Amino acid sequence: MTKLIGMTPSRRTLLKGMAATASALALPGFVQAQSSAPIKLGFQLHRTGIGAAYGRWYERTTQAALKVLNDQGGINGRPVEVIFEDDGTDPKRGAEVVEKLASQAGCDAIFGPLFSHVVNGSAPRAGELQVPYLVCSEGFHVASGKLNRWTMQPGITDVRAQVSSMAPWVAANLGKKVTMVFPDYAFGHDHRDYFTAAIEAQGGEVIKHIAIPPTETSFTRYLPQIPKETEVLYHVMVGPAVLTFVKELGEFYGTGTRPEIFGFIDSLEAVDTASPGLEFLEGTHFWEGHCRVKQADASEHEAFYRMAVGVDDTGASVSDSKDVATYAHMFSTWETLFVLKKGMEAAGYQTTADRQKLIEAIEAMTNMPESMEHPQGAKVFNGKTHQVFGHQSISKVEGGKLVRVHMTSIEDGMYEDAVDYTTMSF
Amino acid sequence: MRGAILIALLPSAAFACALPPSIIMTLPTGYYMLGAAVTVAVTGLLATTPRLVPDMTLRTLLTRRVWLPVSVTSYAAWIVLLALVLIGFVGARDPMHNLLTLIIWTIVWVALPMGCMVFGNMWRAVNPWTAPIQLTRQILGRTRGAGIARLGHLPAVAGLFGFFWFYIVSMSPDDPQTLALATASYWTVIFVLGVVEGEDWLEQGEFLTVYFGYLSKIAPFWLEVEGPRATLHMGWPGTQVLAMPPLSPSAIGFVTLALAGLTFDGLRETFWYMAVIGENPLEFTGRSAVIGVNSFGLLLTWALTAATILAALRLGPMLQTQAVGAFAGGAGTTAVRANLMPVMLSFLAISAGYHAAHYLTTLLTAGQYTLAALNDPLFRGDDFLGLPAFYVSMGFLTDRWTMTLIWNTQFLLILGAHVLAVILALRLTPEGVQARVHFPLTALMVGYTVLGLWLLASPTG
Repeated sequence: MTKLIGMTPSRRTLLKGMAATASALALPGFVQAQSSAPIKLGFQLHRTGIGAAYGRWYERTTQAALKVLNDQGGINGRPVEVIFEDDGTDPKRGAEVVEKLASQAGCDAIFGPLFSHVVNGSAPRAGELQVPYLVCSEGFHVASGKLNRWTMQPGITDVRAQVSSMAPWVAANLGKKVTMVFPDYAFGHDHRDYFTAAIEAQGGEVIKHIAIPPTETSFTRYLPQIPKETEVLYHVMVGPAVLTFVKELGEFYGTGTRPEIFGFIDSLEAVDTASPGLEFLEGTHFWEGHCRVKQADASEHEAFYRMAVGVDDTGASVSDSKDVATYAHMFSTWETLFVLKKGMEAAGYQTTADRQKLIEAIEAMTNMPESMEHPQGAKVFNGKTHQVFGHQSISKVEGGKLVRVHMTSIEDGMYEDAVDYTTMSF
Repeated sequence: MRGAILIALLPSAAFACALPPSIIMTLPTGYYMLGAAVTVAVTGLLATTPRLVPDMTLRTLLTRRVWLPVSVTSYAAWIVLLALVLIGFVGARDPMHNLLTLIIWTIVWVALPMGCMVFGNMWRAVNPWTAPIQLTRQILGRTRGAGIARLGHLPAVAGLFGFFWFYIVSMSPDDPQTLALATASYWTVIFVLGVVEGEDWLEQGEFLTVYFGYLSKIAPFWLEVEGPRATLHMGWPGTQVLAMPPLSPSAIGFVTLALAGLTFDGLRETFWYMAVIGENPLEFTGRSAVIGVNSFGLLLTWALTAATILAALRLGPMLQTQAVGAFAGGAGTTAVRANLMPVMLSFLAISAGYHAAHYLTTLLTAGQYTLAALNDPLFRGDDFLGLPAFYVSMGFLTDRWTMTLIWNTQFLLILGAHVLAVILALRLTPEGVQARVHFPLTALMVGYTVLGLWLLASPTG
């Protein structure tokens, strides 16, 4: 369980809410009772399967956000209940989960899924059932126009924005001749395609693409392919073999000169960068969606969020300094919950009959200032593409800790609209 | 956050990976495997000097009155099971917050077997069928069976296969409602059969009773109950195995399936297997996509496990060049070849060791959720177990020291199980059998040791 035992968990708040509901029931009749019943939100959770490591922190973050939200009085004066349902990180099960949450549990909206293939498998069902489906997946699939009017991504930027917005700083500070090492499947291909285009726009070039088969567990035969004139090595290796990759990279360069190194924190999400074996990463740079180490200039909102979720200043659980959070991504569930709150309040949401109004209310959103609701930073929502845009961080490993050296502007990650969902029917 | 099949249809649908980096992959696991293989092989050399094979005798520690008769504890366990099934249907939808899911998968399938391997057959006390069946038969005045027992262990084989398929292959064995339905259905089927045949039939027809019974034969401590008296014995692990009658063909089917199921549960997650079935382990599509191929894989693993073990037990005696005498197997008394089939019992040690090693991390991870849920079952902030406040924590999975300790523990469990199996095999061999007869079996044990370690050391998706 990701709740702190002994602390008052969200269910208690909920029970209080239900008790309030019960007393309300006794007095002014049905209409009053109905309107003070809890708002039910479904959370599509990667509790088991390949996404379980993220799922644990996504639930913990959501539980923390829910407690804050209910302590503040809930939504439209009603307590909020979140029903967590495991999708096994499986697209087929994901669609079933959407159906269960929407039809059986009667949830007002569903949020939370991360993995793209699960989102792609589930979103059509959400569209058919006409239930708001707010994903936290980073995929370009929302903004690309391939999903539907009911699917939105207001809590996290997409991979296209993330990767593209790295190029200006990399070209200006690390170098213009880039070699990319990436796993040879869609995740790696996204990086290859978006970054290659973005660095060219900055007058740089990718001089070598090194695609590594996903089942590879040793990299010594690929590393010699890195051209000598490489100024920046861009790596996005993921999976169990990451430690082996870093170790072999360190052995390959030894104590001699090496290019500048830039990576995505996805490689080491939930892993302590000061771990033995990762020494080679000292002085290298990483993209972070949200800085895991509390920065010197962290806002009060960031500090509050960190405390509420139970994460210490280094990015680990307050109860276990080895248990590093999926900090770069998990803020998305917190922010999405508060987008739902704001949307429901703007729409005057009462019953599931108002689901369409909720979508329209979120589509109408634009600026999301940095706040308790948006602790990762200010964002701009594009109602037409259903995608939010925000700041990205570039951090440098200094003494084993990730220290931010640059924050992109929101505009750095923007691109032309590929779709206008608002013109589509519900 | 990745796309698989849909990638072809959707642009840029993939992102990120949730598989934690593996510390075990950076350890010199190859040397461990080599060392274990050599150790098992050297143990096999004891066949040439049988007098060095340790004697296994039991010691009686104490005799006491039975505290609570099985009829009482079993009845209580049945009530608890009913409550858990109810929780499965109406409780939290999140499997890690639902006591049914947690207790079945971390206590019944992981902690209890480990307990049985040390303290003997703990399942006997909490078997949720014994008392309900006894009671129902008494009410119905039924004292005889209907002949189901003639099927031997076959119903348990079917039950174990169904269990493995549900656990390893089916789409959502963790889902509380699915699990509640499966548990209730299975309990009902066994209850009906037990009422028809008698509660003693459980010992050969119900897979959990059979499996726990076998695992507890490895235990260094065990309790024997006769009437109102209980006697606690102690002996080397496996001492009880030597007193068992040889396994029947259907029981051999059960033991080979148990080994195969555990093996396949490890195998199906390895990068090697993923590559074979054409799945990218870094963006595994999900269980729904591999139900067909994994069903086949489970069957194939069983077939290969049974074939290699039976082949080793049949091939060995062909190497015998001298007459074996009175212990010769088969129908004829003049047979030259020894019957090595009793040696099949030694595989119980391997089954037990692999079960403990394979599920060690499950115990340490999901077990935390179980503790938390037992402490506060309704998520109201209760503290029934008086535990200090804690978050479920997986930090140890990325800690070099802890993971090295876990790997070494798994290594010792696998190695210990195989060394024990070799010793048991030697002790179970009829007298007069030449050392060379053991060669195929020892070679197989060496292979199994390496396989077991390789499964635990491999990158998994």
